[in-house]
Amino acid sequence: MNKKNTFKTALKTFAVTSSLAMASFSFASTLTVSSPQDPGSWDPIDTFLVNWAAVATNMYDGLTYRGPDLKLQPGLATSWEPLDEGKRIRFTLREGVTFHNGEAFNSASVKFTFDRLMGDEGRKGPQRSNYSAIDTVEIIDDYTIDFHLKAADPVLLTKLAGYGAMIVPPKYIQENGEDFFNTHPMGTGPFKFSSYEPKVGIKLEAFGNHWGGAPKLTNLNYRFISEPSTAVAELQSGRVDLVIPPTIPIGMITTIEKDPNLTIATTISPTVYALRFNTRDGITKDERVRKALIYGVDRQAIIDSILGGQAAPIASFQSAISFGEDPTMKPLPYDPSKAMQLLKAAGIQPGTKLQIDIRGNNATFNEVSQAVASYLQVIGLNATIKPYETNVLLNDIIPAGKTGEMFQQSWGGWTLDYDNTAYFMYHTGEKWNPYDSDPELDALLESQRAITDRDKREEILKSIANYTSNRALEMPLYNLNAIFGVSKRVKNFTPVPDSRLRLTDVTVE
Amino acid sequence: MANFLIKRFLQAIFVLLAVTLIVAFAIRLTGDPALMLTQGAGSVTEADLMMIREALGINKPFFIQYYEFLKGLFVFDFGRSFMGGTPVADLISKSLPATLMLAASVMFVSIVISIPLGIKAAVSKGKWGDQTIRILSLIGLSFPNFWLALMLVLVFSIGLQWLPPSGMDGFTSFLMPAFTMAIILTATNVRLVRSSMLETLQAQYIMVARAKGLSENTVLYKHALRNCAIPLITYFGLQFGGLLGGIVVIERVFNWPGLGTLAFDAVSGRDYPVLQAVITILSMLIVGVNLLVDIAYGLIDPRIRTE
Repeated sequence: MNKKNTFKTALKTFAVTSSLAMASFSFASTLTVSSPQDPGSWDPIDTFLVNWAAVATNMYDGLTYRGPDLKLQPGLATSWEPLDEGKRIRFTLREGVTFHNGEAFNSASVKFTFDRLMGDEGRKGPQRSNYSAIDTVEIIDDYTIDFHLKAADPVLLTKLAGYGAMIVPPKYIQENGEDFFNTHPMGTGPFKFSSYEPKVGIKLEAFGNHWGGAPKLTNLNYRFISEPSTAVAELQSGRVDLVIPPTIPIGMITTIEKDPNLTIATTISPTVYALRFNTRDGITKDERVRKALIYGVDRQAIIDSILGGQAAPIASFQSAISFGEDPTMKPLPYDPSKAMQLLKAAGIQPGTKLQIDIRGNNATFNEVSQAVASYLQVIGLNATIKPYETNVLLNDIIPAGKTGEMFQQSWGGWTLDYDNTAYFMYHTGEKWNPYDSDPELDALLESQRAITDRDKREEILKSIANYTSNRALEMPLYNLNAIFGVSKRVKNFTPVPDSRLRLTDVTVE
Repeated sequence: MANFLIKRFLQAIFVLLAVTLIVAFAIRLTGDPALMLTQGAGSVTEADLMMIREALGINKPFFIQYYEFLKGLFVFDFGRSFMGGTPVADLISKSLPATLMLAASVMFVSIVISIPLGIKAAVSKGKWGDQTIRILSLIGLSFPNFWLALMLVLVFSIGLQWLPPSGMDGFTSFLMPAFTMAIILTATNVRLVRSSMLETLQAQYIMVARAKGLSENTVLYKHALRNCAIPLITYFGLQFGGLLGGIVVIERVFNWPGLGTLAFDAVSGRDYPVLQAVITILSMLIVGVNLLVDIAYGLIDPRIRTE
C-alpha cells in the first residue's frame, strides 16, 4: 500500500469512527426532571409519597400496570383469574424477565416481596395497611402463584400496580441487606438505578433488557427542588427539562408560557379540594345551613379567576377519573338568595361567625378561602380563616375533631376508586371523619367492599356520592389539574394524572 | 490561660447539654411521626401505628430516648432518619461541609471587603469617600436577602445565563448564594469597623504614634486595627451564629444541599433524629466559634489571659 492509500484509509477510518461517535453521541440523551422531595428511601415499603412513585415507577414493575390512560394492564403477571368468589386470585407470571442485576424473576420473587411486605420489615413502614386483605401467597409452580385473601378486595388489582406491591429481588436484598437496598434500589423496570445523593438527586439509566423494550432515553436524572421559583428558574435556564406536580403554582403558569423555550402541559388529576363541615356541632350541624353555604359560594368564578381555569367543578368529593363518579350529578348552583332563605329558615342571624381551617402553606388555596369568606360575607356570615401548619392540621386538628365549622381537605387517592376516598371520609370512626356517624351510609360503604362485580359496585359507589351530596357533608370546590412545566426539547411527553410518569417513550432533542 | 480555657470549655459543655435536652423535649411536642408517615394511607389502625412507633423507637420513655441520643453523640451516631432510614450521620456528613463552605466563604468575603472599606470611611470621616461608603452600606442593608437572591437569579441565570440558578456543582454555583449573604453582612460590618476605628483613632497613643513620624499605614493597620479588633472579633463571632441561621433561607432559595435544607425537610416530616442532630451540630458550631473568639481575645490582648 502506498502512502497516498494509507492516508486515504486513515481518513476513511477517521470519518467512519467519528460519524459513529457522533451517532452514539446523538443517541445518548438525558432527561432532567425536577421533583419536589427526596423520599429518603427507595424501598417500596418505606413510603407513601407521590414523589417516590414518580421516580420509582421507572425502576420497578408490579404484577399489574396502570398506564397513562389509567387502564389496568398486565405487568409482571400476564393474566389473573379470581377464584373462590374473589377470595383467591391466581396469577400467571411473565417468563424470561430478569432484575437489573440478572437475577431471574419468578414465583419465588413474588412470594418474597409480599412475605416481606406483610412481615417484620413491612411492619416498620406505612405500606402494609394498604395490602391487609392479603393473607398468604402460595407458589403453585415457577410461573404460577396464588394470593389467598382474608376478604375479597375489589381494589387489590389496582393496588398491585403501585407502591408497596412493587416486585423486589430476593437474592439481592438478602445478600446486601435492607439498608443497602434503601439507597441502592433494584427492580425489573425500564430504568436501572445508577446513583443517589440524599437531598440532591437520583440518577437512573436505561435498562436495555426490559421485557417491554428498551426506553428511548439513555439517562434519567431527578433533582430534588422544593422551592417553586427555583424549579422554574432551573427550567428557564435549561438545566431542567421537566417540572412535575405539585411544584408549579397557578401564578407561575404565565411566566412559563411566555418563555419561547417552554410550555405547560396539563391533564386532569385525581386531586379534589373541598371545605368539609363540622356536622356535629355549631351552625353547620344543620343540613340547611350546610346547603346554604354551598349555594352561597360561586365556585365556577373561583375556578375561572383564581385558578386560571386550571380546574373543573365537582359535585361530589371525587374527580371525573374516579371509579364511582356519577356524571349525571351536577354541583349545586350559585344562588345567594336561596342561600339567605335557607339561613333564615334555619334561624341563623346575620353576622353569625364561622371559622374556616386551612393548610397555611398553599398560597393558591389561601386565596380560594379568602374568596369563599367574602362570598359568605355577602349572604350575611362573618367567616374567619385560620391557617395551620399542614401536618398539624392533618394529624392533630382534623382527626381529633378540633376544627372550626369548615376545614380544608384535599384528597387524591392513587387507586382512582371512590372507595379510597368515601370510606375514609364518611365511615364512622375513620381518621378523616371526626364528626359524622350515619349507620345508613356506613352500611352502603361496607356493602360495596365485598362485591367483585364491577357494575354492581359502581352503582353503589354512585349512590354513596348522591347520598353524601344530599346530606351536604362538604362544600365540593374543584378538581385541580396536574400541571407540568416542560422544555420544548422534550418530545413525546404525555402528562399523566397521578404523577406516575413512566418515561420510556420520551426523547430529548 | 489554662484555667481560663478549662472554665470556658466546661461552660460550653453545659450549654450544649441544656440545648440538646430542650430541643429533644420540644421536638416531641410537635406531634407523632407515625401519623405523619401514614398520612397518605387510608385506613390505619392503632395497631399499625404502634408497630411503626416501636420500629422508630419512640414508644420508649423520654429520658431513655434522650440517654440513647447522648450515648450516640459520643460516637457521632445520631440514629436513623424516620423518613427512609438513612443513618443521620451520613446525611450530616454530606450537608455540614456544604453549609460550612458557604458560611465560611460569606464570612471571608465580608471581612476582606469591610475592613479596608470601614477604615477608609473612618479616615476620611465626613468627606465624599465616607459618604459614598455609608450610602452604599445603607443600600446593602435595605435588601431582604431572599429578594436579592431572586433578583440575582433573574439577572444572572435566566437573563444572562452565566450562573446556575441552584444546586451545588462547582465554583460558579457558589457565587450567587455567597454574594447574596455577603452583601448584607458587609454592609453591617463596614459600619461597625468604621465606628470602632473612629473611636480608636481618637486615642492618645495614636497621636503619639503619628507624632513619632510612623507611616500612616503602620499607624492604621498595626496600632489602630489591633486595638479595635476586640469588639470586632466578638461581633464577627456572634455574627457567625446568625449567619448559620440565615443560611436556611438562602439554602432553600438556591437549593443548596446543606444543613438548612436538611432541617427544613426534617421539620416538615417530624423527623426527630435529623432535626435533633442538625440543631445539636449548629449549637456545637456556635458554641465552638464563641470559644475560639474567647481564645482569640487572650491572644490579642494579654490582659484578658491573666484576669
